[in-house]
Amino acid sequence: MSPAIPLLLAIGLGLAGWLVARARAWTFKRAAPDGRIAALPSYHAWYAALWIVVPLILWFLIWNGISGQLVLNYVLASPEAQSLPEFGLRRDSILIEARNIAEGNAGLGMNDEAAALAEPFREAMQRYSLIGLVVGLLIGGAGAAWAFLRLKPDFAARTKVERLVLAGLLIASLVAILTTFGILVTLVYETILFFGKVSPADFLFGIQWNPDPMSTGAVEGDRYGAIPLFWGTLFIGAIIAMIVAIPLGMMSAIYLTQYAPARVRSWVKPALEILAGVPTVVYGYFAALTIAPAIRDIALALGASNPSSESALAAGLVMGVMIIPFVSSMADDSIAAVPQAMRDGSLAMGATTNETIRRVLVPAALPGIVGGVMLAISRAIGETMIVVMAASTAANLSANPLESMTTVTVQIVALLTGEGSFDHPATLAAFALGFVLFMVTLALNFIALRVVKRFREAYE
Amino acid sequence: MVMQDTADTPIAEMAQSNASAEAIEPTERKMRAKGVSVYYGDKKAIDNVDIDVYQEFVTAFIGPSGCGKSTFLRALNRMNDTIPSARVTGTIELDGDDIYASGMDVVQLRARVGMVFQKPNPFPKSIYDNIAYGPKIHGLAEGKAELDAIVEKSLRRAGLWEEVKDRLQDSGTALSGGQQQRLCIARAIAVDPEVILMDEPCSALDPIATAKIEELIDDLRGNYAIVIVTHSMQQAARVSQRTAFFHLGNLVEYGHTSDIFTNPTQQRTQDYITGRYG
Repeated sequence: MSPAIPLLLAIGLGLAGWLVARARAWTFKRAAPDGRIAALPSYHAWYAALWIVVPLILWFLIWNGISGQLVLNYVLASPEAQSLPEFGLRRDSILIEARNIAEGNAGLGMNDEAAALAEPFREAMQRYSLIGLVVGLLIGGAGAAWAFLRLKPDFAARTKVERLVLAGLLIASLVAILTTFGILVTLVYETILFFGKVSPADFLFGIQWNPDPMSTGAVEGDRYGAIPLFWGTLFIGAIIAMIVAIPLGMMSAIYLTQYAPARVRSWVKPALEILAGVPTVVYGYFAALTIAPAIRDIALALGASNPSSESALAAGLVMGVMIIPFVSSMADDSIAAVPQAMRDGSLAMGATTNETIRRVLVPAALPGIVGGVMLAISRAIGETMIVVMAASTAANLSANPLESMTTVTVQIVALLTGEGSFDHPATLAAFALGFVLFMVTLALNFIALRVVKRFREAYE
Repeated sequence: MVMQDTADTPIAEMAQSNASAEAIEPTERKMRAKGVSVYYGDKKAIDNVDIDVYQEFVTAFIGPSGCGKSTFLRALNRMNDTIPSARVTGTIELDGDDIYASGMDVVQLRARVGMVFQKPNPFPKSIYDNIAYGPKIHGLAEGKAELDAIVEKSLRRAGLWEEVKDRLQDSGTALSGGQQQRLCIARAIAVDPEVILMDEPCSALDPIATAKIEELIDDLRGNYAIVIVTHSMQQAARVSQRTAFFHLGNLVEYGHTSDIFTNPTQQRTQDYITGRYG
């Protein structure tokens, strides 16, 4: 049964219910002595329509989930299925092919047995989709009956509809939260598998990162020391990028809030926000094709021997530029949120604008600024494309920004796009790395939001 | 005198019982405004105002909301400069120097003409740092001991020392409203100004805190020229020696406080102080 049929059915019944309920409400309204009923006719209409559509769609979703199994059971119980092999790939492929033939999606192919099974499949499908439709109609009818029995002139349809809308909104917001939770569960599961093969101590404290997706046999724990990756991530994302982003972001925020005339502000601020919308892969080109070679040339000119063409510095600098709008807009908001009275108070004591900014506005806005910086860091260390393109995959544990380095995200990409099998420790290591990254950014975001929240309370 | 029961006493009596309101003659003219008009964009907020402000006197500006008295007050230390559309014409002199002259250092001017705002606005810093802020930026103290002394002196003068001396490192914003306003006054005093402008300093305070501030204003009068904007005519009558009545951007009447409240020359003043409008 194509999914369009139940959907059209739900919409059609809902529409009918809507119209009938509205007409009924209008008769109440006309009959009412003062021409007033508890809710507008359209609320009665929505109430009835929702009572029809929601149970119907829920039923079809459930039925869609279980009917496949019911069809299969029916087919397996049929006499034609007795000749199927007991287990294995062949049995599955025959069943799949038979189903495809029955649905008319494919002709007879590899397995001749499938042709015989197609007929029971067709029967089963017809039978169960009919059952589904009939039950759906019954449920829709029950919903309609329930709703229509309750329609009365003094029925508070408005509050009922309000409550249903509320439930809908709640479900929508839960989707995002449940997804995050689901991601975490997958990550944890794969991470546990990985730690079953490589000890967490080797992973978290080892200083050799050299996984070999092709290796077989005994797992060598000493190849999975992630310290060089953590260091590369911190060095590029939290140190070099922040050395660029914090001062520039702060200064642009100060200029925009305190000095810029309204006309300048009205185009500089959107321009900065556009910077935040540039796809990171574009920054990646820029880092790899322009900045990294330039840095290598400068290093050569300054007498460095054999500098790398992929450097932590190039990735960090470009990432810093990418992060500027985040720092700037958070700092801008925080400084703008400091009451004008603070500024006036300081100026009225004979402080210059500069002194006022340094000694009053920035300290007062500091919690918000710190929160913004932490959000920016958590974004920088989760950033992938720039480092993939500009920072190489060599895991060096070095404090020299001209060396090539790699980050957690780059390695995740490298491991998952490699050719190792899915249960190989080299592949599973990607999940362990992702898990660590997830926890770190989660912690940073959590702290940042707490800090920002406390700051907001300070002046309200 | 200051702590009079305000409920039953007519304003006129209050102004008369404020002995200083007429007994003393000014010794020194501190500020003089001549033909001052203030514009916000094209809108004229203050029209051609002449006023003298005297040393050791409290000058009160009264008038209905929107009459321009706060605007004029802010013109006296060029705080209107922070509003891009504001423009001032005419001359305002401090000790004979035009404060709008091109050579005038606004920063120095504001150090000499301090300001206390309607709503207490302590910085989100410790009590100590709130007071030390001005002396630090103006380099008034050499070393910690001198700074400590300035902080203590300023807090004592603002009548706050006894209440906060054990918690100077607490945040200034944690004080009560009245204490915060006295902290702001202490902060203004700390840079040793010559004139103190107060823009409705008690409007956000309860009657007890208000009484304390009024008492403080009377104490401070001996060392400064004070200008206070107020909505409370009782307050003007209690604390000031000179009163200016503003209406619709015009200075209607300016004179001895006792005269303004007992014997105004203008019908509009009479109407306002007897509560017929405003």
